[in-house]
Amino acid sequence: MDPKKQQLPPKENALFKRILKCYEQKQYKNGLKFAKQILSNYPDHGETLAMKGLILNCLGRKEEAYNFVRQGLRNNLKSHVCWHVFGLLQRSDKKYDEAIKCYRNALKWDKDNLQILRDLSLLQIQMRDLEGYKETRYKLFELRPTQRASWIGYAMSFHLLQDYDKALKILEEFRKTIQKTSYDYEYSELLLYQNLVIRESKNLQEALRHLNTYESNICDKVTLQELRGELLMNLGRKEDASEVYRGLIKRNPENRNYYLKLEEALGLTTAEERIKLYEELKEKFPRAQVPKRLPLNYARGEVLISLLDPYLRAALQKGVPPLFTDILSLYDDPERIKIIENLMYGYLKNLKETGHLCETDNEYKEPASILYVLMFLAQHHSYLGDTEKALSLIEQAIEHTPTLIELYIVKGKILKHAGDYVGAYEALQEAQALDTADRYVNSKAASYLLKANLVRQAEEMCSKFTREGVSAMENLNEMQCMWFQTECAQAYHRLGQYGDALRKCHEVDRHFTEIIEDQFDFHTYCMRKMTLRSYVELLRLEDVLRSNRFYWDAAQTAITIYLRLYDQPLTANTGENNINTANLDPAELKKLRSKQRKAAKKAEQNKAEEKKKEEKKAEHQKSKSGGNTDDVDNHPTEDLDPSKLERTEEPLAEAIHFLKPLQSLAPQRIQTHLMAFEIYIRKGKPLLMLQALKRALALEPNNPELHTCLIRFLQYRQEKLPGHHSVVVDVINREVNRLLPTTDPTQLNEDFLNNNQDSVPHRLQAARAMKLLDSVQRDRALSIATALDPHLTEQTHQNLHKVLEWLESREVGGTPEQLTRYKAQSHALFPRARAFMPPESSSSSSSSSSSTTTTTTTTAADSISTTNLTVTSVTTTTTAATATANHNHVDAPSS
Amino acid sequence: MNIRCAKPEDLMHMQHCNLLCLPENYQMKYYLYHGLSWPQLSYVAEDDTGQVVGYVLAKMEEESEEDPHGHITSLAVRRSHRRLGLAQKLMDQTARAMVECFNAKYVSLHVRKSNRAALNLYTNTLKFTISEIEPKYYADGEDAFAMKRDLCSFALQNDVSPADSGTFFDNKKNEEKDK
Repeated sequence: MDPKKQQLPPKENALFKRILKCYEQKQYKNGLKFAKQILSNYPDHGETLAMKGLILNCLGRKEEAYNFVRQGLRNNLKSHVCWHVFGLLQRSDKKYDEAIKCYRNALKWDKDNLQILRDLSLLQIQMRDLEGYKETRYKLFELRPTQRASWIGYAMSFHLLQDYDKALKILEEFRKTIQKTSYDYEYSELLLYQNLVIRESKNLQEALRHLNTYESNICDKVTLQELRGELLMNLGRKEDASEVYRGLIKRNPENRNYYLKLEEALGLTTAEERIKLYEELKEKFPRAQVPKRLPLNYARGEVLISLLDPYLRAALQKGVPPLFTDILSLYDDPERIKIIENLMYGYLKNLKETGHLCETDNEYKEPASILYVLMFLAQHHSYLGDTEKALSLIEQAIEHTPTLIELYIVKGKILKHAGDYVGAYEALQEAQALDTADRYVNSKAASYLLKANLVRQAEEMCSKFTREGVSAMENLNEMQCMWFQTECAQAYHRLGQYGDALRKCHEVDRHFTEIIEDQFDFHTYCMRKMTLRSYVELLRLEDVLRSNRFYWDAAQTAITIYLRLYDQPLTANTGENNINTANLDPAELKKLRSKQRKAAKKAEQNKAEEKKKEEKKAEHQKSKSGGNTDDVDNHPTEDLDPSKLERTEEPLAEAIHFLKPLQSLAPQRIQTHLMAFEIYIRKGKPLLMLQALKRALALEPNNPELHTCLIRFLQYRQEKLPGHHSVVVDVINREVNRLLPTTDPTQLNEDFLNNNQDSVPHRLQAARAMKLLDSVQRDRALSIATALDPHLTEQTHQNLHKVLEWLESREVGGTPEQLTRYKAQSHALFPRARAFMPPESSSSSSSSSSSTTTTTTTTAADSISTTNLTVTSVTTTTTAATATANHNHVDAPSS
Repeated sequence: MNIRCAKPEDLMHMQHCNLLCLPENYQMKYYLYHGLSWPQLSYVAEDDTGQVVGYVLAKMEEESEEDPHGHITSLAVRRSHRRLGLAQKLMDQTARAMVECFNAKYVSLHVRKSNRAALNLYTNTLKFTISEIEPKYYADGEDAFAMKRDLCSFALQNDVSPADSGTFFDNKKNEEKDK
């Protein structure tokens, strides 16, 4: 391309500048108009073509956008504008690595372009390219030494690289330029950030001195005092620290940590000393709960009784529903449990006889007290495993006051605990009907419906609080409602609807990706707001974001399903999914099938409706914004199609995708490594199998499931290892000999069984291993797994259910008689657990359930989407327009 | 129970608590925006296991011409942890931080007209007063009460030093003299 052609004459050049302005001000239509004017005379002008593409991208016309930008770039490879625009386009598609390359090319042609440097620095920090970030921040610092963001960004780049000396030098130079005498929040935040860096540099003395020097400039008194207390403690100045903590307690007497720190500062070691301290603090802060509650943790025997008695009575008098959960942590000691039980039964007796909680107190009568005593005792006995006693107590309470919602919630929990998921959700539906405006009860009811695998009803329940006009599933996804999505995935998994389950798992995974994207705008925002401490905390949080429990749940479900799909792939024309129907009777099965068909039909209808609505919405938006949608970032992600998901070509690669974050963020959980083993044994990777097993062994060597993995590994070693490279074989052999007492799997299994005779889960795994090693041993294995005896430990309904599942599985294929017998035995032990119910009783109860659903809806959710924190990136020519970060926070209606 | 200032890592748990308890929900970014703009203002209540059972999500209104004032974006306590006084304790800590860090003279919020329990808490316990009715404020068409709580008297009563006492007590001089 002729370089001269890329030079516009003055008139067109002026037009081009107007395009840039239009882009910045989001006047996309006008921008396109000017571009058209230039292109009519200069159709090959690269920068104009690129800008046209960029604007089209903002209008959602992605494909055209790429075409124009690429064409523009081809016409002018030496233009920083073209490269910058291409980078912005990639950025908007979240292709950050590509975008970085483009920015670097742009800088080749205009090395001091501030805007490009700023954009590059954002991508570098987002991608945690800390060295690159430091270089770019240095460049920006050199070019604009008078701007405060230059100083802060440069200092922070050293901080993040743990070069504290340099960071502190820059921060201190910068601090000196600010002269403050009066209140200034940003200065206060800067000082606290500076203090954070000093502390991380391990110079505690200096950190304390710094705090003292600038005390009057720091308006965040909570943080100031918390830091001071911590520093004094670490410097061994305990007496001073104790004064600080006393001050903090006065400020917030409900902060548990302050009290614990005070104990430590005062050097209290014995229970008596501690209890004495709380006597004093209780008096000082009569309205605070924490100083009343904490001493209960230390007291035993008579002292505990003397403290617990007034504590319990006050709560029962007042009617505090969470009393049981409040003192649950005391239940780790049989003596304390007995004390609590005795006190409670004492109250019950007194109330029944005199109407008073205790014999001596006869001034005040609270008729509801008996209710709370009954409710407490019901929870107490349920916790200790006596379902029937618990139920009879809660029924008495319900009879006393049939309108107290909490009683039904407790009843539901007791039944759930006993394995009766149907009775449990029925109780919650009753609770929900009593207060349809309370979303908490609604959520719990939905959650219990999911436990009973009633996905459609659960969604219906949720829909009473989701936005009207969209399906509840969609709204819950939009609002990142991960508790629902993970529990829903588990329900689908149990139902054998693998595609639907996987869809939910992927949706959760995407929330995490999205929240990681969310930090992007804060890179510039926080530097301006000066909330640097919180910003650094955010960066550190985002680095470990997937350690969140919801990710764990979703990943575990997804991996389990992908393993199943690897072992038994669905064929292309499997119309129905393989449901675990072995324990369903024909009538129930029929019902289930028809339910599924209906659900599928409904889903189809919903989909069509949603699509229509979606189109309508898009149209509406278009008209509202005059044809402009400024949401560059908000392009639709590819749809998650359940039937495609469950027919994936690469189930193991998908499983690894979910596993990787767990390996780095949840290495303390043995399940992580057991899942890794399951994946790698299928991939035939002995070294990775070994790695997983070693990590698991280090965590919990006697874990029952780990045992079966070890056996399978030894089996693999015997059968398949010889096919591997000799180096691999050597490593495996050496390590196996080092790790295990014997390399003979049969011997290892017998030893394991002998050592763990009394534990149900261990017996199950020993039986599994036995059957795997030698199918002739099948009968012996069955009798080991199915043995039931009161002296066995962990004989819970959940563990028995696992045994039952094994009996039903392809691995063992128990006969109908064996299944029926084991179910009957389990049923005798756990009469309420649904899994063991004889067919007729379980189906009758579940059919009555749907009628109790209430339909009255009083509330619908607000249609609040999140605030616009979008930062508009701006391309500039040599006329360096300043970046305008746009953060108009749309305030959302609330409370 | 434990009440403390919310940190960025609490924000996801606050979102979870919000989704369990309230019909007005927000995406994570909105929580991040609060936590990173006014890190002192949001508080959480957690149980013995560290689970967030209640929270207050709060901000400053910075764009208005009026006196600096705070706003409660969202307040929730799980039903399983009611009657422990958590909401009040959370709100008082937030109010204090608003005065100390941002010189807020009052704090505002919106509440559904039908939410009697919340209305009772705001009016009787926390001394909010209704400043106006905002018709059809909520997406489902319900009206909201806009409420305000005066923080000058709160600061005086609770011995809280404002960020900038010069401007904070400006029009409150008479009340100060009365004390």
